[in-house]
Amino acid sequence: MSKLFVVLVKAALCAVFALLLIEPLSAQGMPKAAKGTSPKAAAASPKVTQIDIDGLKKLLEPSGKPLLINFWATWCDPCREEFPDLVKLDGEYKGRVDFITVSLDDLEDIGTLVPKFLREVKAEMPAYLLKTPDESAAITMVAKDWSGNLPLTVLYDAAGQAAYTRPGKFKYETLKEEIEKSLSPKK
Amino acid sequence: MRKLTVFLAAIFAFAVAANAQGIAVGATMEDFSLAGTDGKTHSLNSLKGEKGAVVMFLSAQCPVVKGYIERINAVAADYKSKGITFIGINSNATEDFAWVKSDGDQNFKFPMLIDKGNKLADKLGATVTPEAYYVDAKNTLLYHGAIDNDRSGKAITDQYLRAAFDQSLAGQKVVNTRKNAFGCTIKKAGAQ
Repeated sequence: MSKLFVVLVKAALCAVFALLLIEPLSAQGMPKAAKGTSPKAAAASPKVTQIDIDGLKKLLEPSGKPLLINFWATWCDPCREEFPDLVKLDGEYKGRVDFITVSLDDLEDIGTLVPKFLREVKAEMPAYLLKTPDESAAITMVAKDWSGNLPLTVLYDAAGQAAYTRPGKFKYETLKEEIEKSLSPKK
Repeated sequence: MRKLTVFLAAIFAFAVAANAQGIAVGATMEDFSLAGTDGKTHSLNSLKGEKGAVVMFLSAQCPVVKGYIERINAVAADYKSKGITFIGINSNATEDFAWVKSDGDQNFKFPMLIDKGNKLADKLGATVTPEAYYVDAKNTLLYHGAIDNDRSGKAITDQYLRAAFDQSLAGQKVVNTRKNAFGCTIKKAGAQ
């Protein structure tokens, strides 16, 4: 009887151990949303896509909606400081204004520092990392008077014309006002 | 009378635009005097080498500048003997004298001047660090912009500043006179 008890205890311990082992393995192998988390939480691990100058050019093509593009880097203090306001505005204008961010971090940070920061600030807008041997051409393409100082925020109207360009840290109220203007029908 | 008003307005607009963009390549950089971290006042003309000088806008806190320290010192050393000197300028309102002095003393082997109120930066149109202005012996601006085309230093294919030096020292026309690169914004006094 006592032997049977020992066997049953051992079996129970093995079962508990197996369950503990299986849970993390299945968590790694399954998409996060399938684990019962919300799609919003699943989107909290942003994908950062590498682009070159042609990719940047395509991003700037008019899509029928205003476009707000923010150039930033994890090494740029004012960029990090303004990012929560960018996330807030993205949430407020979702579906009406396209928001995208372009990181100027090193390519080796595309899977580490950049998504880590975006996750921390709960950024959900499409994220890109620009890598080009001719940054000067990219800078001039975005704004002729821009010297490459980060951050830079550009708001394009629905026709693809730059309606507002802000080098340096933007002000939430000012940018919101400019977004509203870009959404208002022209008189 | 109306024509005169339009003409004056056009002149004014041109002057404002020119000022906003700073100094253009080919223009003459006016001499300037600024206090150095050594406690003395220095001018462009007093620090300029026989063949010219580089006015380099720097920052004590910018990570991009930090990544360029070795490269800046190397190029400064290589061309000092050829008559081109380097002058560091710090225009950041967020960096105090002690910080700039410590940064200059520890990291750079050339004078560091403090551009209080960022007047020189505004006059030249400097907005980013690092940002170089290379003038010849007559203070003519020959090149303005980035040092090279790779911040990380791992895949440099264009040495913009060195190329400008070599071409001008050889009596040739500088091919790339203006090249930008991503960097830190100069934190200007009273900036909104």
